[in-house]
Amino acid sequence: MSFAVKRRGLGTVALLGGPVLLCALAIVVPLVLTLMISFWERQMIGMRPGFSLASYALFFEGARFSVLKRSFWVATSSTFLMLAVAYPVAYLVTFKLPPNRTRIFLFLLSVPFLVNYVIRTFSWAYLLGRTGPINQFLQWTGLASQPIDWLLFSDFAVYLGLIAAYMPFMVYPIWLSLSAIDKRLIEASWMLGEPPFRTFLRVVLPLSLPGVFAAAIFGFVGAFGEVAVSQILGGVGYQLMGNAITSSLDVLNYPMAAAMSTVVVGCMLILLLVWLRLFDLRLFLGKMLGR
Amino acid sequence: MKTSSRILIWLSLAGVLAFLYVPLLPPLLLSIQDPATGKATLQNFGTIHSDPTLIGALANSVIIAAIVGVAAPLLGLAAAQAVRSFGMPRAIITVILLPLFIPGVSMGVSTSLFFNLTGIDPSLLTMATVQTLWALPFAFLIIMTVMSGFDTLYLEAAYTCGANRAQAFWEVELPQIASGISGAATFSVILSFNETVRTAVVQGGNNTVQTFIWSRYQQVGLTPNMHALMSIIIAVTLLLILVLVALGRERQPAG
Repeated sequence: MSFAVKRRGLGTVALLGGPVLLCALAIVVPLVLTLMISFWERQMIGMRPGFSLASYALFFEGARFSVLKRSFWVATSSTFLMLAVAYPVAYLVTFKLPPNRTRIFLFLLSVPFLVNYVIRTFSWAYLLGRTGPINQFLQWTGLASQPIDWLLFSDFAVYLGLIAAYMPFMVYPIWLSLSAIDKRLIEASWMLGEPPFRTFLRVVLPLSLPGVFAAAIFGFVGAFGEVAVSQILGGVGYQLMGNAITSSLDVLNYPMAAAMSTVVVGCMLILLLVWLRLFDLRLFLGKMLGR
Repeated sequence: MKTSSRILIWLSLAGVLAFLYVPLLPPLLLSIQDPATGKATLQNFGTIHSDPTLIGALANSVIIAAIVGVAAPLLGLAAAQAVRSFGMPRAIITVILLPLFIPGVSMGVSTSLFFNLTGIDPSLLTMATVQTLWALPFAFLIIMTVMSGFDTLYLEAAYTCGANRAQAFWEVELPQIASGISGAATFSVILSFNETVRTAVVQGGNNTVQTFIWSRYQQVGLTPNMHALMSIIIAVTLLLILVLVALGRERQPAG
């Protein structure tokens, strides 16, 4: 990059640096504050500064810990399911569609994502209900003699809702890294006599891992802190971390909400640090950085 | 490629799209249905404007979307310019993209605690702040993409001709990336208009259309006029997406 582009006076630094600093503070300060508050003591009304592990102790011994374990399991397993859908989609889009079709498909993929996922989740509750279209169809075709109960308010419904909410978003990072692969590497592997599937395993898959890992973080984070899908499709008492956090907020237990939120954000930060350590951001965002 | 495998590819991609588009239909169907008789009717839409809370929520949504639609692209533009001008792209990108990786609830809780401690009462501005932070990564990525298509040689040419930094940006770069900025603005409006979880944590006594639907659902369940409202939201969102497409066309006349 040339010197001229980097030309910057005091005015430029202030004009660009000011807003960026403001954004950075607005994003980071509340997170740090939440970490601090998680150690504060709860009082009848509000909270008091201090250093106490009471919220964490209560979190890790009570019923909330089982919510954490469930969230962890649901988030991990649903992330693998979402990858199992998103990867083939991204693969087909990158290698099997003509370039102009790729753009159209990715656009069509993003349209429903822009409609509030809470509204889409309400729709799934209607579609999967006892008297909903899917059950009616199954009975009409004779595949089921009576309404199937496990379609709604079940693990099945929650997984389906999570996949519908977060899977489309995961296609993009995978597509980004797949489309950045140098095609000559794949051809070289063929010429050296590797069959297509082994070429995929040993060339394409390893090179696409930055995108896969980024996609996995998106899916995991979304599912781990979920509020709406679990409440709408999981039924009464089905809680993920997001529900546990909001119910603590409802009873004004701020330190507890902060402690649980910190655990969730902590998991996310660990994943993000691993990602940044393993992969080069520039490799992944190369197109956008113009390098 | 064999015809059979090509058909298989198209079918599976179409299946994925169908899975994602099906949930857009039920609100439309339920909103034109009389709950008692099941006949087609438009009266569910008629009951919307008789609810003053709802009208207030609608006005709030519009105001907040306008704020987010201006703030997010401007901040995104500043950040994208800073990535190119300052010598620390990695740090800036990581921080700006951070909200993408934080669950909505945690983001909402953190900002609400921050406002709580600093004595800022919940208002439209706190809601707009949370939504701006959410829209910022997307606006930033869109503007970064457009800027990567802009050849910085033009800037050097402008400097050679005696322009200063501001003139070079305003007269040379801005016209080239303007459609990307308006695209980012439209995208931010869409995101703002469709956001529930973060907003619900900091809403206080105010409502947007989305938090209104969410709290109605939690209190009394969904009624036919809620479905009418959802169909309107879906229609407006699709309309805004059309605007986005038109802006994209403008940017790439060849494509």
